[in-house]
Amino acid sequence: MQSLSATSTAGVQSLSASSAAGVLLDLAGVLILLLAFACLGSKLFNRYVAYYGAQSVVLSFAAGVAAFTFHSIELWILAVATLAIKGIGIPVAARRLLVQRLELKRDTALSTGLSTSLIAGGALTAFAYLVTKPQLLPHGVVAAAVVPLSTAVILLGGLGMVVRRHTVAQLIGWLIVENGVFLGAITLVATFPFIVEAGIFLDLVAGVLIMLVVVSGLTRRLASASAAELRELHG
Amino acid sequence: MIILVILTAAGPLAGTAAAAGGARARQAGWAGAAGAGVALAAAVCLLVAQLHRAPLRGWGGFLYLDSLSCFFLLTVASVTLLAAVGSVAYLSAEEDSGRLSRFQVRLYFIFFGLFASLMLASLETGNLGLLFVLIEASTLASAGLVGLEARSNSLEAAWKYVIITSFGVTIALAGTLFLFYSASGLHLAPDLALTWPYLFSHAHALAPQSLRLAFLLAVVGYGTKVGLAPMHTWLPDAHAEAPSPASAMLSAALLNTGMYAIIRFLAIARAGLGGSFPRGVLLAFGFASIVIGVLFMVRRGNFKRMFAYSSVEHMGIIAVALGFGGVLGLYGALLQILNHAIAKSVLFLSSGDVALRYKTREAAGVRGLLAAVPFTGGALLLASFAVLGSPPFGLFLSELTIVRAGFADANPVFPLLLLALLGIAFVAMARTTTGMVTGEASPSPSPYRGRGAAVAAVAPLAVGLAALLVLGLWIPAGLDTVIRHSMAVLS
Repeated sequence: MQSLSATSTAGVQSLSASSAAGVLLDLAGVLILLLAFACLGSKLFNRYVAYYGAQSVVLSFAAGVAAFTFHSIELWILAVATLAIKGIGIPVAARRLLVQRLELKRDTALSTGLSTSLIAGGALTAFAYLVTKPQLLPHGVVAAAVVPLSTAVILLGGLGMVVRRHTVAQLIGWLIVENGVFLGAITLVATFPFIVEAGIFLDLVAGVLIMLVVVSGLTRRLASASAAELRELHG
Repeated sequence: MIILVILTAAGPLAGTAAAAGGARARQAGWAGAAGAGVALAAAVCLLVAQLHRAPLRGWGGFLYLDSLSCFFLLTVASVTLLAAVGSVAYLSAEEDSGRLSRFQVRLYFIFFGLFASLMLASLETGNLGLLFVLIEASTLASAGLVGLEARSNSLEAAWKYVIITSFGVTIALAGTLFLFYSASGLHLAPDLALTWPYLFSHAHALAPQSLRLAFLLAVVGYGTKVGLAPMHTWLPDAHAEAPSPASAMLSAALLNTGMYAIIRFLAIARAGLGGSFPRGVLLAFGFASIVIGVLFMVRRGNFKRMFAYSSVEHMGIIAVALGFGGVLGLYGALLQILNHAIAKSVLFLSSGDVALRYKTREAAGVRGLLAAVPFTGGALLLASFAVLGSPPFGLFLSELTIVRAGFADANPVFPLLLLALLGIAFVAMARTTTGMVTGEASPSPSPYRGRGAAVAAVAPLAVGLAALLVLGLWIPAGLDTVIRHSMAVLS
């Protein structure tokens, strides 16, 4: 159990990278990045939602690891909320209310080919490491391993939003960006106040609800919810 | 004190409560206006009470109120009051004409109150995480206002607005995280960790590389809300499609709230990194915004769109002034924030009146305002000249201060460029607005039923213009003091 305990050598209460929990968090970060790549490389709306759901489940596992290490009830609540809302609630709602009701199958509103966007994604991941790795964080802390991963996930989500012009795909892109930020926030655990984390969660839920309403409204009006068709307002 | 803090933030919720209880446009509107009046009164009391005192702290760092927050509270609460009174007229006219259903009208007042109160609350917190939460929540509340009319155009604008600004603010949250990482060498007590005063007083000990990244991400992220180019693309659509009092709130309150967040990060970055990096970032984004705003103002078309681009331009001017820094730059920036907020409220409210009468938002469809509706036409003309920085209005004074700050700064190219761009903006916008107010009058029946609504349409215009004139001639001693105290944060 000794290796699982939190260290506070760097001032911030944080995990050391070599502890079992640190390794698990690191692994979870890698999985989350891979799932972001999977989403970027896919063309089917069903898959977007499925990869996002899987990513959120891994994220809730990461939050659970942190909660176990720090014996923090608040983090347990967050882990369970992540699983229930991001892992199950949002994917189910997106599938029922968007993918099935709007009969979305294959995403045709891509502005680049899949291979191009995957190569760009690789470049962005390298960029994330370049920007965040050197001397930015104290060595030996798990955050030093997770922060580049979380930055890369943020960039990949943003890339997904740029490359895909369908509103539903953009919504998933934003949710992946949010997962990336959340992954970074987990490593700050004890010092990130619970009210703030809970508020971020509430914002996310409210945001998804509003976007669902807008997307269904747009589809009813335009018979297509691709942002590529949104051309009435320009200049 | 705490009572005043709560009243300021919760005042506008009166309209929300009335509308949720099923009131019609008139009652819900006046309830909201009364609530906004209470909020403004409380904000003024707070400002006076805090004038010569140490910042107010409480609730484990979640509450923090210094002169800078008081100044922004005053600005946002004034705009809220003007827009709330304007909403009474605009929404009852829309309800009477049947263009908006009763349900939509109720939704409007529910979202309006939430939007105002979330923005006011975000100015009262010292916790940077909570600042993000409240600003993102205010985005969501205002998305309801932008998409209210539920036509394909307004839904498109609402989509662009909510997805672009949510993404932007999420980037700002990433910036907040990096700010926190930059503090990872400090021995932070848990509840002090993300509070602004703590980070500000320890700014010199923050890790510079991480702090630099944090500042850049915060400027890009919150800059999306401010409408700094090139992140401004949602702004003209949202302003053009929202009901006019809501456009006034977006332009004069929301953009300033975003600017407030940037100023908080700027203060930490200045203290931790020195002046040159923040200066470069702000000048780059600022001039990009001015150029984009001015170029698109040249196009004649939807007049609300033109006013929206003018907001992009003004936010750029404020960013440039913050970049110049020094006593003059900061004083000019803060004064410009207040002046622009009032002038833009008047401009959008009068454009709402015009849109109701002529049932068009195209500048080409409106002629002879001065002859047909002298008061609205006059207010539109005066407010547009005020926004363009003509004397004797307040913006002349603040823009002059900013240009002087530029000349006091090292490189005279920047203020000269600023002057040239201001000149182009003047020609571009005055060309359109003078076209709208002059010429043959076309018949325009009054859209308001009853005296109450007609007064509500006119009163905010008169009050706003009077305030602009006063600010151009004389800056009250209390305001001067609060601006000087706010500047202490940045220098």
